[in-house]
Amino acid sequence: MLTILLILIPLVAGLLTFFLGGSNAKIIALAGALAELATAVFAWTQFDPAAGAQFGFQYDWITASGISFAASVDGISMLLVLLTTFLVPLIVLSAFGHNYQNPATFFALILFMESALVGVFTTTDAFLFYFFFEVALIPVYFLAAVWGGENRLKVTFKFFVYTIFGSLFMLVALVYLYYQTPGTHSSAITAFYDLQLTPAAQGWLFWAFFIAFAIKMPLFPFHTWQPDTYTESPTPATMLLAGIMLKMGVYGLIRILLPITPLALNQWGAVAIVLSVIGIVYGSIIAIQQRDMKRLVAYSSFAHVGLMAAGVFSTTLNGMQGALIQMLAHGINVVGMFFIIDIIFSRTNTRYLDHLGGITQKTPSLSVYFMIMLLGSVALPLTSGFVGEFLLLAGVFEYNNWLGAAAGLTIILGAVYLLRMFQKSMFGATSVNTEHFQELTLSERAVLIPLTIMVFWIGIYPSTFLEMTEPTVNQLLRFIHN
Amino acid sequence: MYPIILLSFLGIVVLFLGFAKSKAILLPATLLFLAVALVGNFVEWNQGTIIYFYNMLAVNNLTLAFNGIVLVSAFMIVAMTRGFQDDDEAQPAEYYAIMLFSLVGAFMMIGFENLIMLFLGLEILSVAMYVLTGSDKRNLRSNEAALKYFLMGAFATGILLFGIALLYGATGSFTLTGIQAYIGQGNPSYLLYGGLLLVLIGMLFKVSAAPFHFWTPDVYEGAPTIFTAFMATIVKTAGFAALFRLLSHSFTGIYDYWWITLAVITVLTLLVGNIIAVYQDSFKRMLAYSSISHAGYLLIALTAMTPQTENSILFYSMAYSVATICAFGVLIPLAREKAMTGKPRETYEAFNGLARNNPLLAFVLTVSMLSLAGIPLTAGFWGKFFVFGSAAERGIIWLLVVAILMSAVGIYYYFRVIMAAYMKEGDTAEIRVAPFYKIVLVTATIITLLFGIAPGLFTGLV
Amino acid sequence: MNTNYLPSGFLPIVVQFVLALGFIVVTMIVTHNIGPSRKGKVKDDPFECGIEVVGDARTPISVKYFLVAILFVLFDVEVIFMYPWAVNFKKLGMFGFVEMVLFMSLLLAGFYYIIRKGVLKWEE
Repeated sequence: MLTILLILIPLVAGLLTFFLGGSNAKIIALAGALAELATAVFAWTQFDPAAGAQFGFQYDWITASGISFAASVDGISMLLVLLTTFLVPLIVLSAFGHNYQNPATFFALILFMESALVGVFTTTDAFLFYFFFEVALIPVYFLAAVWGGENRLKVTFKFFVYTIFGSLFMLVALVYLYYQTPGTHSSAITAFYDLQLTPAAQGWLFWAFFIAFAIKMPLFPFHTWQPDTYTESPTPATMLLAGIMLKMGVYGLIRILLPITPLALNQWGAVAIVLSVIGIVYGSIIAIQQRDMKRLVAYSSFAHVGLMAAGVFSTTLNGMQGALIQMLAHGINVVGMFFIIDIIFSRTNTRYLDHLGGITQKTPSLSVYFMIMLLGSVALPLTSGFVGEFLLLAGVFEYNNWLGAAAGLTIILGAVYLLRMFQKSMFGATSVNTEHFQELTLSERAVLIPLTIMVFWIGIYPSTFLEMTEPTVNQLLRFIHN
Repeated sequence: MYPIILLSFLGIVVLFLGFAKSKAILLPATLLFLAVALVGNFVEWNQGTIIYFYNMLAVNNLTLAFNGIVLVSAFMIVAMTRGFQDDDEAQPAEYYAIMLFSLVGAFMMIGFENLIMLFLGLEILSVAMYVLTGSDKRNLRSNEAALKYFLMGAFATGILLFGIALLYGATGSFTLTGIQAYIGQGNPSYLLYGGLLLVLIGMLFKVSAAPFHFWTPDVYEGAPTIFTAFMATIVKTAGFAALFRLLSHSFTGIYDYWWITLAVITVLTLLVGNIIAVYQDSFKRMLAYSSISHAGYLLIALTAMTPQTENSILFYSMAYSVATICAFGVLIPLAREKAMTGKPRETYEAFNGLARNNPLLAFVLTVSMLSLAGIPLTAGFWGKFFVFGSAAERGIIWLLVVAILMSAVGIYYYFRVIMAAYMKEGDTAEIRVAPFYKIVLVTATIITLLFGIAPGLFTGLV
Repeated sequence: MNTNYLPSGFLPIVVQFVLALGFIVVTMIVTHNIGPSRKGKVKDDPFECGIEVVGDARTPISVKYFLVAILFVLFDVEVIFMYPWAVNFKKLGMFGFVEMVLFMSLLLAGFYYIIRKGVLKWEE
């Protein structure tokens, strides 16, 4: 019952915002997002990690075809639901400083997106999963295409076609699997797990799913849509894309790809990991070259997600757990960084490192927050990134030493480009643009403070989250390795 | 059965209503007649299969459902005609009567039990379409379209008739059951294969499958938009219902023979429809090619011919018809407004900036484009889903892959429209749309979304 | 009555058909060739009372002619249905009568329609 509430609250709040919003749109949207967060936290307090999937509900969606509207929450879902519901109020709040045209539509789209995202993370029906997976794309497409930057049309179009194209492969795979299920067919994801598929069938299914999720995340070489889209989108949309939507891909790997095609993993897993590791190194090196802060963070996000994928494909407990905790940490860090870049941009009208500098002297508080987010991303111990990256690297090392070593570059290279960004923007002499840099507003602080708390929480006491997911991950791994 | 008799008679009544002083009565009367026919249609619901006229016509839930789609589509399209008020040359009574008569043809095609009935229905429908295509008498494009359609259509009908003759020659029967029984005996004559091929060609021409599609873009573009909508929805639905009936009732015995032919045509149709649509500048021409591509998706279900097929075709026809009506329904007032200001009327540019002053029209257009593109939350997605499902059930994965790639291409040209409406600058003034017209558009959009969220409501019906 | 029709039974019809066609073809060819013929530009001209040809032979004719002609054909063909009915009048009885009345009333409705539409008004 709780699960359906989690899906419905943002939907209803979105509708309310859309129809009654007007000038109060942002307040209604924020209230809706907070109500959703409260529900999620309540669910978390009721959640029993050892009990597997809970709060489930199910009703027939398409009569007589075994396709049902079913959702429930297990450890992995709980983590991602918490991430989503935690970030969305902050994303809504982060938009308070801007005067977006048609605020009612703008905030309603964010809430619709939240509904679809929670749907993706909780559903237990494969077609419903696909449904939400695609539906999540529509609000963010409009957010980016209507409120985005100059090149938005071309860029968002590429993004949309790219991702839909990928998901269509997944659709074929799902339809195929559906007709492989015995009896009157069922589209429950667990029914797909139980299929005895030939290695050949698993091979092509693996690639069909891989392409779909790799485009979403994105992994090398399917990433070309990502930097442009992140750069051109309005910041709330970028946050949604990088903070949450990217996780749909990783989640898909864990929930769909690995358990359905375990045999293909022996055959193709190495290729997938190598692609992921290439992405890590490649993304980091390009990030070093970037002058545009948003683009830089976009590439860093691309590098980080490569490590998550590598950890998942290593199918070790460390790798998986690392990927999960890193999803949480990365979501928080990347949202924080994009928000800080947005603050800088709104005050200086530029994102180019060469035009910035000396912000520390004007607003020390901003540079402190920025430093915390950065260190979280660089994976300094006691910050959020450390736990995830450590576990991920441990997982990849277990799989193969050389790949582990290559993936380890991410920390060194990450430190290079992130700290350089910090140094260029915050230190040095003030430029024309940063001379009159204003102090943080209340709503900006209201976004940054919770993010900072989370960075330290995950860094200092990750067990809260690790213990939540561990039983589910163990169960999944046992299944895959059998 | 009842709608055939009702509409034949009520069509004549409409003709005579045309003699009344005020033309204003025609539109409500036609709508009322369509509603009566719709009620009449469902009188026989859930009564099993009933055979009429010495094995000429069959009625069962499937044919009634197809009739229902055709009738509802016709109802929406007629409601959008606004009585042809703004055209002095128009002959509303005749147009309405022809539309009603053509529906009779569609019903015959949907429920035929005897090949002669198929031929009759097809001719009634086609001849009506030739006339409606050319109804804009002062417009050269309309004349050209009508003549092209007529010549090509007549030729296709000839081929169909020849095919029927060969089938009769082989089997000694015109009835579906007779042909099926003949095939059941084994060792069918070569005449049968030839006949089937020719009948298929004749029918595929009508549903504009490649390589028999050449008439489609010109005719769709030349015909008055309202009749293009009629053509795109009703002819296609009836055509596919008839094809399905023909193949599923009579020719499943020689599936191995025809499926590969149909598969090749399917691939060709998908390629031609989607790829050429990308290069169009005119919205109407794009919809023409898109209708070709949708014929391709429907053909996938036919090619697979599994127990799923009937449901897939039914659902797909419904989703496609409703979305197409919306698309044309937005184009009509827009083109009229643009014509008054002398701007491009039917190109993509016509939609520039539509969202600013006409959010409702823009929303309707968006939903219809999303549905045609097969994006979730719309009925079009489930249509594609069921169609792909039937192919997956048969195990024709390569056909699916082609279809998937082409769906991705489809997104490109459908999204151009949405982008023009929402993101391009334009000076589309506020367009006044009659309240009734709005109701139709909104209803169609709601249908699309409703069946997009809960397709079970529809599939559970049949 | 013999109900078995063999293809060979149709032979007389074929023979008659061939003879009829043959006669026409032969006469046309023969008449063309046995007479003396002198060809020339002036000779081949259509000619009427010595007046020189003006214009084209294919002058446009008012569409009304065609309309009336087509309507004539329509109604004429409909009448054909009356013959078999008249022959079987007694056998068909009341059923046939009702059907025929229905048929004729539809025909009359059509007739009324074309009159109201002004198709038969010659002057306009």
